[in-house]
Amino acid sequence: MSVLWILFVCSLVVLPGIALLAFRWAMRQGEFRHLEKTALSIFDDDEPVGQTTDCFPGGQRGKKPAPTRPPNPISRPRLPEA
Amino acid sequence: MNAASPSILAALSPSDNEELAQRRAVLAEIDASCRGPLLFLFSGSIIWLLVGTVFALLASLKLHNPEYLANYSWLTFGRVRPAHLNAVIYGFASEAAIGVTLWLMCRLCRTPLLFGWIINAAGVFWNLGVTIGVVAILAGDSTGIEWLEIPPYATPILFVSYALIAVWGVITFRFRREKHLYVSQWYLLAALFWFPWIYSAAQILLVLDPVRGTVQAAVNWWFAHNVLGLWFTPIGLASIYYFIPKVLGKPVYNYSLSVLGFWSLALFYNWNGMHHLVGGPMPAWLITVSIVASVMMTIPVITVGINHHLTMWGSFRELKTSPVLRFMVFGGMSYTLTSLHGIALALRSVSEVTHFTHSTIAHSHQGMYAFFTMVMFGAIYYIMPRVLQVDWPSARLIRVHFWAVAIGILLYVFPLIVGGTLEGMAMTNPDVPFVDAVKPSVVSLTLPYLKTRSYSGMLIFLGHLAFAISFGWIVLRWAQAGRLARLKTSLARV
Amino acid sequence: MNYGPILFLGIFLTVASSWCGLVLIPHLQFGRQQPVKIEETGELYPQSRPGIAQQGMAVYQANGCIYCHTQQVRAEHFGADIARNWGQRRTVARDYIFDKPVMLGTMRTGPDLTNIGLRQNSVTWHLQHLYTPVITSKGSIMPPFRFLFEQRKIGAKPSPDAVPLPKEYAPEPGYEIIPKAEAKALVQYLLSLKASAPLPETR
Repeated sequence: MSVLWILFVCSLVVLPGIALLAFRWAMRQGEFRHLEKTALSIFDDDEPVGQTTDCFPGGQRGKKPAPTRPPNPISRPRLPEA
Repeated sequence: MNAASPSILAALSPSDNEELAQRRAVLAEIDASCRGPLLFLFSGSIIWLLVGTVFALLASLKLHNPEYLANYSWLTFGRVRPAHLNAVIYGFASEAAIGVTLWLMCRLCRTPLLFGWIINAAGVFWNLGVTIGVVAILAGDSTGIEWLEIPPYATPILFVSYALIAVWGVITFRFRREKHLYVSQWYLLAALFWFPWIYSAAQILLVLDPVRGTVQAAVNWWFAHNVLGLWFTPIGLASIYYFIPKVLGKPVYNYSLSVLGFWSLALFYNWNGMHHLVGGPMPAWLITVSIVASVMMTIPVITVGINHHLTMWGSFRELKTSPVLRFMVFGGMSYTLTSLHGIALALRSVSEVTHFTHSTIAHSHQGMYAFFTMVMFGAIYYIMPRVLQVDWPSARLIRVHFWAVAIGILLYVFPLIVGGTLEGMAMTNPDVPFVDAVKPSVVSLTLPYLKTRSYSGMLIFLGHLAFAISFGWIVLRWAQAGRLARLKTSLARV
Repeated sequence: MNYGPILFLGIFLTVASSWCGLVLIPHLQFGRQQPVKIEETGELYPQSRPGIAQQGMAVYQANGCIYCHTQQVRAEHFGADIARNWGQRRTVARDYIFDKPVMLGTMRTGPDLTNIGLRQNSVTWHLQHLYTPVITSKGSIMPPFRFLFEQRKIGAKPSPDAVPLPKEYAPEPGYEIIPKAEAKALVQYLLSLKASAPLPETR
């Protein structure tokens, strides 16, 4: 039964304690600030928000091409010739 | 490896390195740098997919037709079934997962793939280890431990390979040129770290120096459930978190929720395994802890579900035009369904009936196939044209692939859940004989469902063939395009 | 969440917690159990298997019997294990302390085998059943293990080892079916499977 006591103490005191401290630390560090900005980090000028990037072969890609750029057939700027 | 790539030693302190202060790499540059390793890993994984499907079909046919190929020891059900599991889990799924992880890591770190030779070496070792393992299982050299059948002379090869990949992961992470850590990155880093831990712990405690008695069962299911929970699930979710927003050009519905989703998964999933032992010869507290953790999984499942499905909300029209999205959305929906189903299966009252029946098998295929494998298919459809700079050759083949596997897996999972539940109800009723020549019995009751599964397996195999042809064809196209380009340059020189 | 080290720390701690809870603590709690003296018989239980049964276990492992057969009996009012006569009592951790590996199993495509040595204690029954399962169990979907047997021309007189078979399954006249060493060992292993001793913790 002593095992149960160890589990009891661990689950109610030690683990939540560590979690709470870690959470407080993270808050103060600003880990949770500007989260929404990170959500945008997968987009860039080549593949901006609002442009779809996939279709069946032969179809038209790019729902709303960025106005200044020619419709970009997703994303495949030519590689510089090696 | 391009000439400008830094040395491995520089990874110790990449900030000193001036090259790294340079601009973030262009997407096309990143994609091109992944070409060699990804071609290797994806080809390997598709070969294993076909091999694994053949084993699966054999096992399925044998289950309702025991005399089929019965005189070959190599092909007896009890060897073909683990051969299937190891071929698809370690051969196909892990290799595809590693490939997708590499590409996502590079894109999310905004750095070209450095040290491709590490990955190529790892790929060679991995395929060697799985091949030896599967042949050994067929030859009767299995360890007899579920999910860890590969004998101890093959596992160190897998481990070396894995260590190389993990080292590569850390290096790439150190050299990143993107200061934001996108949600997919958390899952990928976690998976890269978790897998070697659980795999080596299980190997040591079960094969090299086994612990005593049923503690082995605890270690076994701690491992086996965590392969799904801490290796495949995070990579599958990381992919969905990247590809759905990326394909739609629409950021994730609620990014703050993804923090909750990640940490609750990390906290609860790894405690789930003991629900495979409900009613078994173990202390009740151990099983109860796992049941509680399984129920707690509602938190990550619902938060992730909200993010995936509500990102998709309003964009369902895109499913018509985007093959990647079809596979991803199918996978995402299956993840929600299979997780909720799994939570229900963990409850004692449900488990009393469904434990030891085919409904468990249906559930694991819903997770590993309807969720994970579909997501990997989608990812490969997205990645290959970018890496090779050639488009997929045939829209029709992609459609055949999607519909065959989608209908196939639905036809597999849902009838078998029903059949397994009926089987369990009969099994817990002592008035129904277990097996009987004439009277309806537990065994005779399951037969129609087992046959349905064989048909669904054939459909899935057809889909895999279409996929393999597509893949072979796009590689061929790329090779031809390369030859053409070389011809042009040599003509220009003349 | 853009700071790598804290992410790594969290990733490490979460899996470490379940490793402690589901692996380490069970090992401390019941990973060192010893056999006990049964009052009624005065014998120690469990005992490790004799060598030939141990070899049979390897055959059981190699041919994947575990994928269709469990070796665990659940408690009386949990499922119908005891009502189906798969055991007189539930199995407990101590029953398995000498098994390497422990093959509890997770599927019952076939019946539970915890006490098969008590239910079917005839060598001939097991040999016939392994050779062609439907001889002894009509309606069975178990695969035949004929590759564990040899078909031989009958010599001067029939071998005492030959498996007696009903007419429709017998080989052509002049031939007999002899079990290979693996089949014999496997049968010895199956006969050794019994968990009926009244352990104190099962009362």
